[in-house]
Amino acid sequence: MATTTLHEAQPSLPSPPTGAAPPGGTARRVLRELRRDIGAVLSTAFLVLIVLMALFAPLIGTLAGHGPDTFDSAAVDKDLGGLPKGSLGGISGDHWLGVEPQNGRDILVRIAYGARISMLIAVSATLLTTVIGVVLGLLAGFYGRWVDQVISRLMDFLMAFPALIFMIAVLSALPAGNRPVLLVIVLSVFGWPYLARVVRGQTLTLTGREFVEAARASGAGSRALIFAEILPNLRSTIIVMTTLAVPGYIGTEAGLSFLGVGVTPPTASWGQMIANSVSWYQVDPMYFVIPGAFLFGTVLALTVVGDRLRHALDAGEAS
Amino acid sequence: MLRYVAGRLSWVLVILLAVCVFTYVIFFQLSPDPAVMICGKTCTPERIDTIRTSLGLDRPFLQQLGDFLRGIVAGRDYGSGANLVHCPAPCLGYSFQSGQSVWEMVLERLPVSVTVAVGAAVLWLLGGVTIGLLSGVKEGTWWDRSTMALALGGSSIPPYVLALALQYLLVVKWQVLPFPAAIPFGDDPVAWFQSYLMPWIVLAIGYACLYARMTRANVIDTLAENFMRTARAKGLGPVLILRRHALRPALTPIVTIFGMDFAGLLGGALITETVFGLNGVGKMASDAIAKNDQPVIMAVTLLAAFFVVIGNVVVDLLYTALDPRVRTTAS
Amino acid sequence: MRRAVLSCAALCTAIPLTLTACSGGGPAASGQAKPTADPATGGTVHFLEKPDFSHLDPARGFDGGVNNFYRLIYRTLTTREAAGPHSDGTKIVGDLATDTGRASENNKTWTFTLKKGLFFQNGAPITSQDVKFGVERAWDPDAGIGSPYAKQVIAAPADYKGPYQSGDLDTIETPDERTIVFHLKKSYPQFSSVVAQPNFTPFPKGTGAKAAFDTKPIASGPYEVANYRRGSSLELVRNKHWKRSTDTVRAARPDSFVWTFGLDAATIDERLIAGQGKDINAVGPKVQPATIARLQTPQLKQRTLAGVTGCTTYMSLNTTKGPLRDVRVRQAIEYAVNKQTTVDALGGSALATAATSIEPPSIPGRDATDVYPSKDGTGDPEAARKLLAEAGQSKGFTLTVDARANATEQAVAVAVQQGLKRVGIKVKINTIDTSTFYEVIGTPSQQHDAALTGWCPDWPGGTTFLPPLFDGRLISDKGNSVLSMLDDKKIQKRIDEIAAMEDETAQNEAYGKLDAEIMKRAPIVPLNYSKTVLVVGTNIAGAHTSISYSGGIDLVGIGLADPKK
Repeated sequence: MATTTLHEAQPSLPSPPTGAAPPGGTARRVLRELRRDIGAVLSTAFLVLIVLMALFAPLIGTLAGHGPDTFDSAAVDKDLGGLPKGSLGGISGDHWLGVEPQNGRDILVRIAYGARISMLIAVSATLLTTVIGVVLGLLAGFYGRWVDQVISRLMDFLMAFPALIFMIAVLSALPAGNRPVLLVIVLSVFGWPYLARVVRGQTLTLTGREFVEAARASGAGSRALIFAEILPNLRSTIIVMTTLAVPGYIGTEAGLSFLGVGVTPPTASWGQMIANSVSWYQVDPMYFVIPGAFLFGTVLALTVVGDRLRHALDAGEAS
Repeated sequence: MLRYVAGRLSWVLVILLAVCVFTYVIFFQLSPDPAVMICGKTCTPERIDTIRTSLGLDRPFLQQLGDFLRGIVAGRDYGSGANLVHCPAPCLGYSFQSGQSVWEMVLERLPVSVTVAVGAAVLWLLGGVTIGLLSGVKEGTWWDRSTMALALGGSSIPPYVLALALQYLLVVKWQVLPFPAAIPFGDDPVAWFQSYLMPWIVLAIGYACLYARMTRANVIDTLAENFMRTARAKGLGPVLILRRHALRPALTPIVTIFGMDFAGLLGGALITETVFGLNGVGKMASDAIAKNDQPVIMAVTLLAAFFVVIGNVVVDLLYTALDPRVRTTAS
Repeated sequence: MRRAVLSCAALCTAIPLTLTACSGGGPAASGQAKPTADPATGGTVHFLEKPDFSHLDPARGFDGGVNNFYRLIYRTLTTREAAGPHSDGTKIVGDLATDTGRASENNKTWTFTLKKGLFFQNGAPITSQDVKFGVERAWDPDAGIGSPYAKQVIAAPADYKGPYQSGDLDTIETPDERTIVFHLKKSYPQFSSVVAQPNFTPFPKGTGAKAAFDTKPIASGPYEVANYRRGSSLELVRNKHWKRSTDTVRAARPDSFVWTFGLDAATIDERLIAGQGKDINAVGPKVQPATIARLQTPQLKQRTLAGVTGCTTYMSLNTTKGPLRDVRVRQAIEYAVNKQTTVDALGGSALATAATSIEPPSIPGRDATDVYPSKDGTGDPEAARKLLAEAGQSKGFTLTVDARANATEQAVAVAVQQGLKRVGIKVKINTIDTSTFYEVIGTPSQQHDAALTGWCPDWPGGTTFLPPLFDGRLISDKGNSVLSMLDDKKIQKRIDEIAAMEDETAQNEAYGKLDAEIMKRAPIVPLNYSKTVLVVGTNIAGAHTSISYSGGIDLVGIGLADPKK
């Protein structure tokens, strides 16, 4: 899916798992396989940590003794443009990961609150694209004819848009309003065709397979065919593409915030923190390194998990 | 075949028209009154009316849209009497900010974006595909594992982070490259190469990592297929197998994706151009967005859509040539 | 009526007023001249810039950055002295005219005599008719979007629409080739400053229709445009018809100037500090806050310049909205805001100073008294809470503040938000796109409770600072500058009395006192006075910041120490 909106222009998609996995009974085997993979285990652990940070952000704030927006003028040096006092970007017993230049806000607390926004946007956009993508992909693939024509043309149309340019333009033209919601909507509108295209292709293949033909012959209705026969077979595709979509959206949210059309201050998001830190990278590298490391780590962990998942599912199919 | 091409091309026109209408509706209806923005600081209601009339903003929406579309095909006139300005086809209007012809602005900026895109594409194709091929053949070795780990990491770095880090290391610290600048090739080929090298690298790394992973996966899939087993049974070495039998099927899917990615980049590499201050189409887009310069935003959107749609057609045609299994009657 | 642009996109490229505070501390690095040393003749000065100039047409452009640039290619009847070691660059002197003008009839008619030996870049002599034609362009509905003073001050028929549509304007007379007489609407003692405005540039009669000067200006100053690629680059070369003997203001040392536009702010600072290749001959805009900390080495301090913009950053309080109708609530806000955090938002003490009065220190006759004093301007929440309690608002309320959508403005908004949070006032930041910000806040029906903006005077003195912001009779449905909507008869009466004063010094001192009087009504919260810090290349000389051009380097004096480098 939108993995490369993190980069420039049009996203290309990671190749989906080939064919469809056999239904049922594989979950335990896949889990076992993932548990043996050190990369997957570490990545999962990191993701759990991030999710916990996001969930317990207010608790972290209480423990650290700072709110996400609380200024600490004493922690920055006015005469040096607001550079944090002390080494490593003001890391101290009071501020465990240092402070932001110019206003002295606590970086750890903002990272935790930022995780909420970044994850919320990425996960909601992924859910929305998955629902739209799967439903429309299924419909197009299963019914064919004019349904397929309409949906496919709509996909062609949306995929012809320069997604990044258009997202920025739309977001800056719309009133500020509720930015996170707008971001989710815009990301989803341009994101779903990438999943739908794959789902449509697989549905087309599946519809022609013997087991679907057999079910149809034994009198199953369209609804039963879709939900009982075809959807279960798309499971691995959906899981993998979804895992790979989340990091894509996190990166895109960061990129949009970098270009100034992301969430609005004082709300913390990782992308916005990185955008603000960019000009400080020489005098206060930690301001840049810490949110950058969290973003990089999360994107990497999700990509690794997605990748290993695909591998495990593919291997299952081959065996 | 000819009918197929004609069909595809007419579909291109339909898509472009749809993009045009959609973009027009969004920007000209949602965003603030352009006349007020052109009017400037010392504005009078009378002056706003003058501007509205000269831009045709006082007319019904459909008529405006019609004028815009007609302008692209046949050119159009702005204003009347002494202030009449003829805008020749393809007329994309005039910038609200600078009053320049948008078409001329695009023509002036496009070479920079094309240079950035072509250079980066060469780098990522050479780098990404080579690494992917090697890793695919040597599946499971330390080379495979380490390059794939790097590729995973590389595709997770936000491009602006990479850009600033590279600029600091290569330009400021080691001083092996100058600061990027849009130097025309004709002025000084060496300086041209040096100043574009860093934008190329930054842009290429993300794509190279993805391409390496995709190529590797395709090579592994292809090598596992039955006709490969036959070839191996005949006693052919891995390199020979790769060259004679596996290369084409493994690379065909890459062509599809490359066509789309490259076409997308021709419409401007927004982040890279902005970070490095290269005055390409992408930088023009982000400036126009910041100033709400609607005609320019329209033009960039259309241009990018044009490249993507054309890229799609070229890819389809190449695909039929490369892969005999795809029949032109399909799709 | 220049609005302050806090983040200083176009404005800070270079704008005028005084303090040539050159912080050349530390031992002189070997063989390196100070940037304030006298320049040699020749060479090319480079400029690394973010956005392009707004307009090359002086009737259209009107901000500190472009006004400074105009002096290289254009001349006006009068102008300001060049900023230098012994001059703050604010004094008005004759430029095309032999002197600063002769007034008669209680300052209602002004006569100027042109110098001899003045030519356009094409060699044609500059006559009084050319000056008249240039000024008339201010009334053209398309072109006249720059400085408003010509239209405000000079008498003209209500339906006059500039020379292209309405022809000659009879209230400007040209009895002979070298004499020009202006008839004003009413007495205007500072008319010498008005004719220094960019739209008093002469142009050959009939030229400049359809924005021609935005791409191909006709030069009257020492340089002419050789090459202009909009948004990318601009090159000036010498205008060989300009005679040094006719010009006491412009040193015009370099042979050419080259601007590169569209660069990233962080990259510009990086290039100037690194100083590689041609960048030793380069100048940039105000540095980023993050760069301040890097300028502490003796070598860099040596080539750092500091200046003040002459602008005040403020938050207007709409006196017609909700709780803000009560003066005690507005006064509570004055006490609750922490001005020091707004200074930090702009980049700390090097880039701003906490404000005490509406007028910044660069205004003559200014009274620095803070009506709402607190330690270092950090606010006095106790006093604020007391006032809120008196007004029956101790539970607090929500205040919607309009702010522009860029990082600096948003940082100031968040600083205000944190300050007011201390007394229970919840600030909702309403982000408005930069391109439409003034349009929205200048429309009373769309403006919210408060707005973050700024103001720069068009020449030092209270005349262009207090009346445009606080004369309630100027309130209008669109393009309103009285953001507070304060309609106070006592203040209006005082403004009229001061405007009628003959003596400029007495006038400025009266404005200084009026400042405190206005502040008692708390229609705005003055937050800070912004400053500039600039780094220049090692080979730059003759660089003096000027308050007349928002703290930028006065371009008429700049040059290179060694033109051969």
